[in-house]
Parts: sequence; structure tokens; C-alpha cells
Amino acid sequence: MSQEAISNCRYCLMCRHVAPVGHITSNETLTPHGIALMVASQRRGLLKWNTSTLRVLYAEPDAGLCRAHCVTDQRLPAAIAAVRAEIAARGLAPDTVVRLHHRLLRTGSAFGERVHQTHTHTSELALFAGDEAHNLWPESITAARLLLEACSTSAALVGAGASNGYLACSIGFPATARKNFRACVEEARDASVTQLLVLSPADLFTFRQMGPERLGVIWPADIVLTDFATFLARRIQDGTLQLRAGAGDAAYVDPTHAVRASERFNPIRSLATTVLGQAPRELFWRRERAHPVGSTAVQFTRPDIAEALTRARLEDAKATGAGSVLCEDPATLVQLTRFAPDYGLKVQGLFEALAALIRP
Amino acid sequence: MVASIEQLVYKPYYTEHRANRVDAPAQGYNEDAMQGLQAEMIRSELEEVVGTPHLSTDDTDLLVYATDWFWLPQMWLDRGKTPKKPDFIVRPNSAEQVSKVLQIANTYRIPVIPWGGGSGSQGGALSTFGGIILDTKRMNRIIEIDERSLTVTAQAGINGTQLEWAINERGLMLPHYPASANCATLGGYLAPRGTGTISTKYGKAEDLVLRMQVVLPDGHILRTPIVPQHAAGPDFYRLFLGSEGTFGVITEATMQLDYLPEVRLLRAVLFDNLSEALEAGRQIMTRRLEPFVIRLYDPRSTASRVRKILGYELEGAYMVIGFDGDRDLASLQERKAMEIIGHFGAKDLGREPGESWWKHRYDFYYPPQSLKLPWMYGTTETITTYDKIEKLYYAEKRAVEESFQDWDIDFIGHFSHWFHWGVMVYTRFIIKNPPEDPHEAVRLHNRVWNVAMTAVLENGGMVNEHHGVGLKLSRFMRRQYGDAWPLLERIKKALDPNGIMNPGKVGFGL
Ligand SMILES: Cc1cc2nc3c(=O)[nH]c(=O)nc-3n(C[C@H](O)[C@H](O)[C@H](O)COP(=O)(O)OP(=O)(O)OC[C@H]3O[C@@H](n4cnc5c(N)ncnc54)[C@H](O)[C@@H]3O)c2cc1C
Repeated sequence: MSQEAISNCRYCLMCRHVAPVGHITSNETLTPHGIALMVASQRRGLLKWNTSTLRVLYAEPDAGLCRAHCVTDQRLPAAIAAVRAEIAARGLAPDTVVRLHHRLLRTGSAFGERVHQTHTHTSELALFAGDEAHNLWPESITAARLLLEACSTSAALVGAGASNGYLACSIGFPATARKNFRACVEEARDASVTQLLVLSPADLFTFRQMGPERLGVIWPADIVLTDFATFLARRIQDGTLQLRAGAGDAAYVDPTHAVRASERFNPIRSLATTVLGQAPRELFWRRERAHPVGSTAVQFTRPDIAEALTRARLEDAKATGAGSVLCEDPATLVQLTRFAPDYGLKVQGLFEALAALIRP
Repeated sequence: MVASIEQLVYKPYYTEHRANRVDAPAQGYNEDAMQGLQAEMIRSELEEVVGTPHLSTDDTDLLVYATDWFWLPQMWLDRGKTPKKPDFIVRPNSAEQVSKVLQIANTYRIPVIPWGGGSGSQGGALSTFGGIILDTKRMNRIIEIDERSLTVTAQAGINGTQLEWAINERGLMLPHYPASANCATLGGYLAPRGTGTISTKYGKAEDLVLRMQVVLPDGHILRTPIVPQHAAGPDFYRLFLGSEGTFGVITEATMQLDYLPEVRLLRAVLFDNLSEALEAGRQIMTRRLEPFVIRLYDPRSTASRVRKILGYELEGAYMVIGFDGDRDLASLQERKAMEIIGHFGAKDLGREPGESWWKHRYDFYYPPQSLKLPWMYGTTETITTYDKIEKLYYAEKRAVEESFQDWDIDFIGHFSHWFHWGVMVYTRFIIKNPPEDPHEAVRLHNRVWNVAMTAVLENGGMVNEHHGVGLKLSRFMRRQYGDAWPLLERIKKALDPNGIMNPGKVGFGL
């Protein structure tokens, strides 16, 4: 299957218009076609794996834009991850990749600590507080819990600080990815969870799509995966969650992987509208064409690309005339925060902004 | 029947002809310049102009930029061989940077090949003699959208779909809808005189351009007059349309926009035969009923492509016809057109297949549905007047099918860009089992083109309607233009005395 996408995409240019790295670099090589042609040419003995080719291979952000726009559903991101797995198996992976992998293997976390919890109380509803949320943007978890309380619900925390498996898979270590993924499933099982709320499209994509497609692991059918934003939007709609009216004028930044969970586009905007008292300003690269920030593995493998991706989102937001940006995804928020001051922009977590509107 | 296939066997044109041409670079390209110390000097000068991140001599980049969408270099790579690679890739972000790059190229007498999206199928962006690939994609700014005059001014490297999205946000459209919009650039629309799906009403890309900024081969930056229709002297701006980078680099263009239509009314009809369908199309056009699209498939395409992509099993000539704009006007135009179609006894298949075609019109281009290697294929599209088109189509079909029946060649076509005076036929050949040996494959490929183009030229057609000339059709330009060709050569010589701009393309440098 992975070979097929490489072969099909090597001379296909039909997703060029949405390919984020090609767009920010204007480099033909750093487009889906360019990368596929490079891999195909390596297979034909025209190129070797060396610093130059590996720089290209690890520049692809695995954000799903190409596939989301592919009429024939070519799974190129998965194919590239499979090539990275070959590279890793041959011991050719760059040092940064090896180091990141060791971390994920040893600790189950890329950004800090994985909290190993014993769930003494069982809870039907749980919130997945993964690696990025727990270690990089814990405010989102606090806010989510407050919002759940305001809905008269309580939820256990599952997977605090745990990588969901996406990163390991994306850099070419499927066995570790499986381990990370399964650890999350097992913890949810230990807690007897029947519904797991996830904070980001990244978690949604990983658990419901990447697992079965790339790792051969399936999220258990008896634990319903629910997008937290959609959950909240419903609670607001049915009156369970009552919030004060918000006011503001911000641009909404669709997070990395947004295109992999397009059913969230409207609910998340209804939340943003609640926070602002009006519809958020929209970026040019929004909804179906939303580009990622540098929050995927590129932040480790190609920090230059990661930074450029993030800056492009901020420039896009700045062009809307907004003074601040709103986003729900911890991983995206962290990246935006790094460079936002350069654009005179403030960064606001959407869930925190909603929590601030809870009626006392 | 084409009698002289043997005489037409492809010969590498470069060695055979180049030395004798007026526009061939005086001493040939300075190949030494691209190695050793001189190469470093060129590199450092280019780097100073565009900045380190925007200059590359990296092996991977050079290989990726060694092929555009031309079948030959793709096949060559697929068979484990490397086409001639560029020596440098630069990505300037302004006309000023382009100008400096061209000045450096003149100093060292090295070729410069403008590169937009690399989606051209004619090998126009190939670095046939090495040199500098000048990728325009960093020049991607929209400078102005004028909602009163309905124009957009943008840098030439902007991506087609991205430009369209930006314009759509104002309720407007750039009515050039090529299937390659996702990958092509604005400059790439204009340089080879492209045509889009809705050209029948709105015109070719060249009909939509009001003004351009161009960097001449010597680095001089010029702007053409503010509007194209006037009486203030000759129409020199047209020189750059179709010059495919041989007369300079287009760095900016102002294009005519239209309002997004209130409706698009589409339907499909089925004719018993191609002849009647062509006549119906002619009558619709000459009565100026303004369809935005008429796509007429020949019986072979109806049986193969229409079935494969759209799922309809039909026999005859399948036509999709559409009218857009104001609902009342479009409905009236459609009714009038259907009256004409009715006179030919064509069967009205209703809206659904027409709308489905519109929705899926680009699906043909996504692999694995698209034509792809290891097959051999080529689009020998051509255009002529109504009085000749049918004869031309059958002459080309017969010549190709008879000459290559041993290769089980498939020849299909559709008629898709209609004018008041004639129509384009998008003919294609496909050989599913071409020679494995790449050298033999090149020869067979070029023999097919020779046969097809000979039939086209002998029957009053143009060697191309919208893909351009590039490298592929370069060798036919002299025959195409006859007496007029030396004029084009003189213009080339005057504009580009060192022959640095895209050598080997559009017939120049042969
Ligand atoms: C899937 C697919 C579908 C296609 N469908 C259509 C279609 O419907 N209609 C159509 O007309 N074509 C079509 N084409 C052919 C091709 O895409 C078009 O001709 C396109 O407009 C080329 O644009 P580009 O930016 O990719 O140019 P390139 O391929 O990069 O360049 C084409 C030629 O123009 C020159 N050039 C590019 N930019 C400049 C510039 N700024 N200044 C001077 N010279 C320049 C290059 O040197 C080269 O000679 C299709 C191609 C593909 C791959």
C-alpha cells in the first residue's frame, strides 16, 4: 500500500495548492510530488539516503493536507512514515529522530513526564490529557475539567502526559507507536471508561484512524471517542452548559490535523463565537485547507520548517486585522505562543476562554 | 497514409542543428562555467541576489527539477536514468531579483529556465542544457483586486487555485479553469497560452490578461501598457504570450475577472455520431449562444473514459453542455441550444450526468485513474477552423492508428475549446506496452509525434492549442510557420543575443 502511494504520487501534482511546506518554501522538492519522486528515485538507484535526502524525508509534516484533498485517497503521509521506518530499521535515522524515539520508548512522552496513574475509582467518562496537554499546556486540562463540572459531569483523567503514538509512528517507529497507543487504551480500560473525551484533532485522528490504518491497532469499540469541542457545543446547545456572554475580536486558528477531523469545523466555531460574542475572524488557510503549525515531528526533525509553518499561520492571522488568536489544541497553542509577540498577537486557549465564562 | 515515417525518425536536434542557427549561443554554452571555481563564483553571486535558503545545488533538488510533466523525462527517470539536470535552482521573490539573476546568466553565458509549477506537459521547463532553473513560486503575492474594473494584479508565481480562492472571497472568479489550476502558476498560464475548461465563453488565459510586467533577457524590467485594446502602436505585449520563457520572465500580470455565476446549468446529450455532434456545436457557437462549456467526446472516449470515470455505458458521441451567469439568460440560452441539438435527434440525458461531469471533471487527473507510466501516452491536441476539423481529426486518427497498429495504439479524443470559427480537438494516444528499453521508447514516442504532427500540419491544424510548444514540439515550429519563422528568430535574436533564455524551446536554438 505504501509503495503504491509513492508510485502514484511521484508524478501527480494535484495537491500542490494545499501542501503546506511546499507553500511556505516554494520548493518543488518539499511537495508531496517532490518527496514521492525522491523516494521513487532512491528505489531506482538514482539517489542515495544521505544528509540531503534525509533532510527532505523528515521535512514532511504528516498533517494530512494532501490526503484530505486527494480524490483517489492516496495515503502518502502513511507511505512516508513507512519509508522513515525503513530508514530507522537500517540505522540511518538522524540523531534527533533517534533521541526522540528513545524518549518515547523509555518514558512514553516526548515533552515531559508520563504520569502513571492507578485508577482506584472507575469513571464512565474520562478526559484524555495527553503529552502536549499535560506537559505543555496544562491550562487546557484545568479549563476542560471546570467546563465538565459546569456541565454537572465529572471525568477521570486518562493518559496524563502520555504520547498517543502519533509521534513515534510519524518518525518511523511503529512498534513504539503501538506501545504508546496501547498504553493509552489500557489506561482507559483500567479506569473502566466507556467514553473518552479528546481535546484535539490530533488525538482524534491518532486513535480512530492512524491506529488501524498504520499500526494495525484498533481503538476499542466499547470506549466511545468523543471530541471535547463537539461535546461542549452540544451541551451549550441543549442548555446543559450555561455561560456568560463573551466579547472579543480574535482570529480562530484551525489547529494542526484539523483537516483530519472536518466534522469539528462547525462545533469549534460555535464555541469561538460563544467566547467572542461574534463569529471569529477567519484565516485564509482555514477549515478544509487549514495548514498546520510546526507542532508535529518537524519541530524535532526540521525546526526551521516548524518555525516557518508557525510564522505563516501567525502572518495569516495578523492579516485578518485581529489582535489575538484563539485555538483549542495544546500543541498548536504552544507553537503559536513562541512567535506570536513578533506579530503583536496574543494567544488565547479556547477552552480557558470558555471556562472564564462559566457562571459563578 | 503517412509515407515517410522513416524520414521522420527523431534525431537529437541539438547536435544536428544547433551550430547552424542564428540564435544559437555564439560559442555554445559555457559548460566550464558550471564547474569548479567558476561554478562557485556563479553560486555566490546568485546567493547574494536571492539569499542562501533560496538557492540550491543540492542533488535531491536538482533531480526533482530535472523533470516537468513531459512523458519523456518521467519515463527516463522511471527507467533509472537521469535527464540533464540544472546546475542551480534559484527562487527570487521580485522582478528586481529576477533581473539580477538574468544579468549574471548573461555574464557567464548560461541558460535560464523559468519554472512555474512544472506542470507543463511539453518539457518547456526542462534544463536541457543545464543552467539556472528560475522557480517563480516565491513571487506569489496578490497586489490588488480591483472590484470596480474587475481585475486582479498578482505576481506570476502565484498558484492558480490559491489565487482563485482569494478572488472567490470577493464573489469573483478568474475564468481560466485549467485542470492544472492546483499545480500551475499564473505565469505558467500565460507563458504557454493555456486554455481552461470554461474557455468557450470566457476565452483563453491570454484573452484575460490586461497587462504584464516582464523581465527581458538582459535584465531590463518593463511593463506593458495598462490595457491591451487601444490604437497606440503595435501589440507587443502579445510577444510574451506563448514565448514560454524564451523572451523573458513574466513577473506580474493583471487579469480580467468575472462575477461568480448565479447558476451553472449543465446537462449531457448523446449523439448517434461525431459528425452531427460537431455540427450541432458549430451552430451553437456561430449563433453566439455562449455556452461556457461544450465537451464532446468521440465514440471511443465515450465508450472508455466516460464509462471508466463517470460510470455511464453509452454508445455514440457524448456531449456535456453548460450555460452560466444570470439564471434567466442561461436558461434561455440553454433552451435555444437544446432546440439545435434536438434537430440532430440527439438524446437528452438530463442534468445529472452533466452535473456529475462538472463535479468530477478533474478526477481524470488523479492516479491511478490518470494515464501513467509505464504506459506511453501523449496529448496531440490541435485546433483549426470548422471546415477542416473533422477531416483533420480523422486524418490524424487514421495516420496514428495505421502506423502504430503493431503497438496496439489507442487513439481517443474530445472537442473542448470552442470558438466562433473553430474548435480544439484534444487527441491522445496511448500505448500500454511500450518498449522497455528507454532508448527505444524515446524513438517510438517521437515517431508517434512525428506522424501525428505531420497529419495535423498537412490538414491545416496548429501543432498545439494550449499546452504550448516546449521542447516536445520545438522541431515542428519551422514547418508550422514556414515563411513567418525567420521573423520570430530575428525577434529572439534581438531580445536575447546570448540565447540564454530557455534554449531549445519553442523552436529557438535549434
Ligand atoms: C494535471 C494537469 C492538467 C493540465 N490541464 C491543463 C489545462 O486544462 N489547460 C492548459 O492549458 N494546460 C493544462 N496542463 C498543462 C500545464 O499545466 C499548463 O500549461 C500550465 O499552465 C503550466 O503552468 P506551470 O506554472 O506549471 O508552468 P511550467 O510547467 O513551470 O512552465 C511551462 C512553460 O512556461 C514557462 N514559464 C513558466 N512560468 C513562466 C514565467 N513566469 N515567465 C516566463 N515563462 C514562464 C516555462 O519556462 C515553461 O516553458 C495540465 C497539466 C497537468 C499536469
